[in-house]
Amino acid sequence: MILSLLPIASAELGAETPEFLSRSFLHWLTNSILVTAIVLGVIVWIVRSCTRRIEVIPGIGQNFLEAVVEGFYGAVDGLLGHKLAQKAFPLLGTLFIFILISNWFGLLPGVGSIGWHEGEKFVPLLRPGTADMNMTIAMAAVSMVLWFFWTMQVTGPVAFIKEIFGVKGGMTGPILFLLVPLFLFVGVLEVVSILVRPVSLSLRLYGNVFAGENMLATMINIGHLFHAPNWLCQVLSCIVPVPFYFLELLIGFLQAMVFTLLVLVYLQLSTSHEEH
Amino acid sequence: MFTQIFQQFGVDWPHFIAQLVLFLVVYFVLSKYAFAPLLKILDERRKRIEESQLNAEKIKKQLAEAELRYQEILRKANDDAQVLLEESRKNNEAFSQREMEKAVKESAAIVERARHEIASERNRMVDEVKREMTGLIIKTTAKVAGKVLSAEDQKRLSEEAAKELAA
Repeated sequence: MILSLLPIASAELGAETPEFLSRSFLHWLTNSILVTAIVLGVIVWIVRSCTRRIEVIPGIGQNFLEAVVEGFYGAVDGLLGHKLAQKAFPLLGTLFIFILISNWFGLLPGVGSIGWHEGEKFVPLLRPGTADMNMTIAMAAVSMVLWFFWTMQVTGPVAFIKEIFGVKGGMTGPILFLLVPLFLFVGVLEVVSILVRPVSLSLRLYGNVFAGENMLATMINIGHLFHAPNWLCQVLSCIVPVPFYFLELLIGFLQAMVFTLLVLVYLQLSTSHEEH
Repeated sequence: MFTQIFQQFGVDWPHFIAQLVLFLVVYFVLSKYAFAPLLKILDERRKRIEESQLNAEKIKKQLAEAELRYQEILRKANDDAQVLLEESRKNNEAFSQREMEKAVKESAAIVERARHEIASERNRMVDEVKREMTGLIIKTTAKVAGKVLSAEDQKRLSEEAAKELAA
């Protein structure tokens, strides 16, 4: 096990467990799971320090958290209606905060670049949680299970099935019989699209974060790729990645937003017809 | 096919469950210790603001009512004062009229009495003068006549003098 300084290898597709752990009872502890646990600790610490004493007249920390929560809650409330918003808001807020912190954690220096070689393979000590597909699938699964549960609660199974397979547009008479098979087919497509949702949700997030990690590694190594002299490699590895870091900051935020908003939109689509 | 893809991306049950548990813990912690109390506080604050708005409206209404009542009271007081003033003016007039009458009557009585007194004094004076004169006449007559007048003379003389003086 040698600490790697340069060059940095591109990350593997999946998260890795260091060899010395993989034979022990900690074989499930990958570098991504370690980072997820660290992020969990950070979140707990932030929440505890911001809301140790919740008061009607807020302090600075509570005020900041409240401003964020209130703004986001207003949007959710407007889209889902008051009743469902109260149930769904904690999930949406958790998704956004957790994904955002996980994504940005991956940009900290050392994450993905400090590690060791196991034979030919480079194993980073830390790998962002959202760059592990287990994590993104877990989040998508939780979201879709709760989506199904809340949709059933709000609309009920009969209305849910009617919404998927039923004939829309208020048609009557003989034309209805022509439309029934068409809408049955549309319903099947709808079901497929619903089933694909967790896969698309998880792959989108995983792909973006993983690609970002790899791109940053490539940009840091750009000198070596062109077989530049050593001093030039060092200079390039400091300058070239800077704009990509800003890009990754933006992407980290956008992907957190996209994941959260998509879950929000799924909820809105399946429950909104109940409102009016 | 799916299992192969999953395997390639390092997806398997133990890791999936580990990440799932971690995410659920985050979810639990955030919803229990961050969102629930914050939403409660926000709700409370919204209610409080609503309440205070209602209160403000109520206070405004009460103020308007109080203003109205105050005006009413003021108006009534003004009217009352006017009535009172009028009454007292009337009373005063009647009183002063009466007083004047009384004073006039009294002064008339005083004048009358004074006149009466003056008249009686004058009479008294005239009587006295008459008496003095009678005495003087008798004395003078006696001196002129050079004799002592008898009682009968005196009586006659005084009667005569009195008659003369009265004339």
